[in-house]
Amino acid sequence: MADGAARHRAYGLGFGAVGTCGLLLLGAIVVTALLAPWVAPYDPQLTTGRPFSAPSLAHWLGTNDIGQDILSELIWGARVSLAIGALAAIVGTSLGTVIGVVGGYFGGRLDALLMRSADVVLVIPFLPLMILLAAYVGPSVASLAVVIGILVWARPARVIRSFVLSQRSRDYVTAARALGARDGRILRFCIFPSVISLVLAEFVQLTSRAILLEAALAFLGLGDPIQKSWGSVLFYAQSRGALLSQAWVWWVLPPGLLITGTVVGFALVGFGLERIFTPRLRPR
Amino acid sequence: MTRFFGGKLAQYALVLFVTISLNFILPRAMPGSPIGFLVGEEVGSLTPAERQRVLRSVGLDRPLHEQYLSYLGGLAHGDLGYSYQRQRPIAEVLADRLPWTLLLTGIALALSTLLGIVFGALAGWRRGRRSDLAALAVFIFLESLPGFWLAMILVAVFAVQFGIFPTFGARELYSGLEGAAYWFDIARHLALPVTTLTLITVSATFLTMRASMLSVLGEEYVTVARGKGLRERQVLFGHAVRNALLPVATVFLLNLGQTVAGATVIETVFSYPGVGRLMYEAVLARDYPTLQGGFLVITLSIVAGNLLADLAYPLLDPRVTRRG
Repeated sequence: MADGAARHRAYGLGFGAVGTCGLLLLGAIVVTALLAPWVAPYDPQLTTGRPFSAPSLAHWLGTNDIGQDILSELIWGARVSLAIGALAAIVGTSLGTVIGVVGGYFGGRLDALLMRSADVVLVIPFLPLMILLAAYVGPSVASLAVVIGILVWARPARVIRSFVLSQRSRDYVTAARALGARDGRILRFCIFPSVISLVLAEFVQLTSRAILLEAALAFLGLGDPIQKSWGSVLFYAQSRGALLSQAWVWWVLPPGLLITGTVVGFALVGFGLERIFTPRLRPR
Repeated sequence: MTRFFGGKLAQYALVLFVTISLNFILPRAMPGSPIGFLVGEEVGSLTPAERQRVLRSVGLDRPLHEQYLSYLGGLAHGDLGYSYQRQRPIAEVLADRLPWTLLLTGIALALSTLLGIVFGALAGWRRGRRSDLAALAVFIFLESLPGFWLAMILVAVFAVQFGIFPTFGARELYSGLEGAAYWFDIARHLALPVTTLTLITVSATFLTMRASMLSVLGEEYVTVARGKGLRERQVLFGHAVRNALLPVATVFLLNLGQTVAGATVIETVFSYPGVGRLMYEAVLARDYPTLQGGFLVITLSIVAGNLLADLAYPLLDPRVTRRG
């Protein structure tokens, strides 16, 4: 193949150059979020400057409509955005894994029932349902994460189920059963270890999806009013007229770039994981 | 074949049942009196007599199963409920908004499908080359963008800074424009929302088309076409692209159902008077009945889109019918 050299450069070895890039990108964002109390110049809840001021040495990204430091808002907001993304992904992946493994392993009516409900969840329009639920449940970090989580389990459940289905009749599972292993033991020692990599890949995908969803909800004013995320910063920027002046350069551009960067980072890490777990994709 | 459709129909019926039941249960399951959720924020301004009338019209004094039946009966007559906030039936409000949303999302869907097919076919054709990798990077970046943010940036740059396009709305109000000028005005208002929506939805078609090209290019008939001595261009357009379009057609039909859902966040940024923006306004006003009506209509249109895809697929791919 003529493209050998280019592909080698693009995919590298092991985790792959692409995956490593993603990991570095995410690492930088996560570390900054974790170190928020030390790296953020101000408390984002306090008025520390004149409202609507442009970037200066004291406030690198200027201040918002009530004089809060935007850079500090973004650094602290990273915690909220990432936490909701991760929490929602944990809820979604756990539900999806349990449902997928149970359905795929036990089969029969239970499986049919579970997969039918997955189909239903997949058809129902996502954002409108989430807007509806978020409006009813009320905005808080935990409720947002749970609402997103219980709505995204269907895809991982389907993927994991079809994988478990293919594992169920593998020789080593049959052997374990012939030796008298009970279902619980087979699930724990045969099925789960083989499904872990898939679960991880699904988790990565869900996290980035959840971060985008949270941003959209927060932008619609359904975010947690106390814990501001990147999406909430954009909500305030929009409703306080940041677009009508130069302010969009330091008030609107940075949070969006952070969201995009995070999602791209997760996508790249996803490619890296795929490379490790499905060796046939590696260049020959 | 008939069994397949039977299963699908049952599934869609289930979806509608779940949606309708959810709409019924949510206001009644929340803590506090359900009247707050049935009326929305306006509940405070009701007189006691009006409260009584609302309670009676929804039948909250009757047993739950009777309430449910009368709720279903109302829906069967196209009664989506009443928005106390807007003082209008929700079906009317939605009917006002629908044309705008369909205009916006319809054009965007056509554009993103076209662009996705062209770039997907070219990228698949040049698999692994620098141009393919560059296209992949661009489209993955587009997929990662928050739609509302892209919309905000476009407004700030093209509407506010350069003043080329209007900042909000679907048309100039009270302008008295007629004929060509009227339509030009509408097109000017559409430009930025359509661009945003096209850009953030194009990668699904692109990735599908590219993957489909990759698998088609490995097929024997492509090798045969090449072996016959056909030119590369003839192989590409005559054999590969035509067959690779199949999965894209499915994506298109499924997206067709999504058009009514509009793009809540994008319509919000542009204050575009569509169904999506209606949902946002309902959130702000805590106008629960409108939220529910919108949700139900959107679900209905998505189910219709899926059904259309199921029906069209055998027509597009004769192999499906033969197997069934």
